[in-house]
Amino acid sequence: MLKLIETELMKLRRRKLLLILLLAALIMPFFAMLLFRYKGETGINPLEFYRWSAFGYTLFIILPVVLGSFCVILIYEEKRHDVAKQLWIVPISRMSYFFSKFFVVLFYSVVFMMITAIASAAFGMLPGYIGFDGNHILYLFERCLETGVITAFAILPVLSIATMTKGYILPSCITLIYALLGFFLMNTNMYLHPICSTAAIIMRDSDIPGLAFSQTINVPFALLCIAAWDIVFILLANIALKKK
Amino acid sequence: MNDFVIETKQLTKIYGEQTAVSKVNLHVKKGRIYGLLGRNGAGKTTIMKMILGLASITSGEVDVFGKNIKGREKRVYPRIGAIIETPGFYPNLTGTENLEIFAKLRGTAAPHAVKNALEIVGLPYKDKKLFSKYSLGMKQRLGIANAILHDPELLILDEPTNGLDPIGIAEVRDFIKELSAAQGKTILISSHILSEISLLADDIGIIDNGVLLEESSMRELEKKNRKYILLQVSDIPKTALILERQFHLTDYSVQDDHTLRLYDASLDMGEVNKVLFMQDITVMSSLVCNDTLEDYFKKITGGEGIA
Repeated sequence: MLKLIETELMKLRRRKLLLILLLAALIMPFFAMLLFRYKGETGINPLEFYRWSAFGYTLFIILPVVLGSFCVILIYEEKRHDVAKQLWIVPISRMSYFFSKFFVVLFYSVVFMMITAIASAAFGMLPGYIGFDGNHILYLFERCLETGVITAFAILPVLSIATMTKGYILPSCITLIYALLGFFLMNTNMYLHPICSTAAIIMRDSDIPGLAFSQTINVPFALLCIAAWDIVFILLANIALKKK
Repeated sequence: MNDFVIETKQLTKIYGEQTAVSKVNLHVKKGRIYGLLGRNGAGKTTIMKMILGLASITSGEVDVFGKNIKGREKRVYPRIGAIIETPGFYPNLTGTENLEIFAKLRGTAAPHAVKNALEIVGLPYKDKKLFSKYSLGMKQRLGIANAILHDPELLILDEPTNGLDPIGIAEVRDFIKELSAAQGKTILISSHILSEISLLADDIGIIDNGVLLEESSMRELEKKNRKYILLQVSDIPKTALILERQFHLTDYSVQDDHTLRLYDASLDMGEVNKVLFMQDITVMSSLVCNDTLEDYFKKITGGEGIA
């Protein structure tokens, strides 16, 4: 498996688009900086700043869309360049292939959230909107790491759909619908959609000011929701890969 | 236990209502070069894909190394190297990087496997040129390098000389021959170029519209390319009558208004000329000829020739 993951990482060399996608990690920290500059406030609660820079739209929309696009690119490019055909006559199991892709998505997701964390801290502290506080920094990095890991699991259904389909248009559209659906279901039922459940896990301590949920946070339910979706889509990917 | 590395039994592939391959019985012997010859769309690639488990089998069986293949058979892949259609690689990587990925995936233990494979096909090792900048010929060479990277016993090469220049074609041909002769590798190669197959193959299978029309060794095929006498005469009906009545010859064909093909090369042409002359038939020429492989291909496919 490690060998497969290593080769997956080797395949990413010189992929500028994937680096450009990482720039999306800077969007919300930058907008948070602009927002607080507009408000003219300094010395604010760091969690208030991080809510905007790392735990708001980055968590609900930006990261799922970026990861979904990453999944589509990973799978579609191999089909487009006819590499998949070469891969299928190499003695690797198709599910190992699928999971190696997933681990790359996981790695990318963590890198994305670490960039978000660094940018959040930098854009908050350098202009002086928030002061340096080791505990808050630790909290930011810890939650960003969690977000990176759990969102990768939440986006696994998109990876599975990308594996099942031939082109890139359908999985790209599904990525958008999937991310938006997660965002809109947030206030209805957090345990229906993996992205809502990811948010529920990240916000489990209800310690981020300004974020309120209509339901009580239940971490086991949220984990169950993500696991159920993942199991179903892993099975579907297995069936689709066997048919190919 | 037979000595076939690949054996197909009544192999059939149907796409929707179209039969791409119909009841093909292919026999590839160990250490031989088997040329699968047919026009574009004849079903060559589909057969190769079914052998490799890249396409499902509608009916029939495929045995590779004596093992019945049902779908992807991971156990036999380390023993097979293949190119199917145009070889696909990662365009953002160099040739060496691409091969390093496949070497890792295959668990190729030989330390210089990538370098050796590239050297064999005449591509530079650790070159900075990306695969996306490769010419078709270079892509094809890289495909061959990938197929031989892990030193397989069986090579399945689908039109490996596509896109190569004449020198490249000759080089690949020599290299394939050497692999078979020096290393005893079994090679199944497909082509729509008759001359290519005739120069390479030990055994040949002719496929048309998904049907394997003929399977034999090149030696046998050469024998089958019958000698005949091309006879040009002034009166075809009268000549035919004389040949049938006096020489009991029925194995002949009329080529045009003045030309006959007599497939019994043992005929005493002196005697034939004499009899025809006596019957007031002018013999304009009589030549002993051999059919080319192309003529043979035309004859058995019942259609036009092949390049």
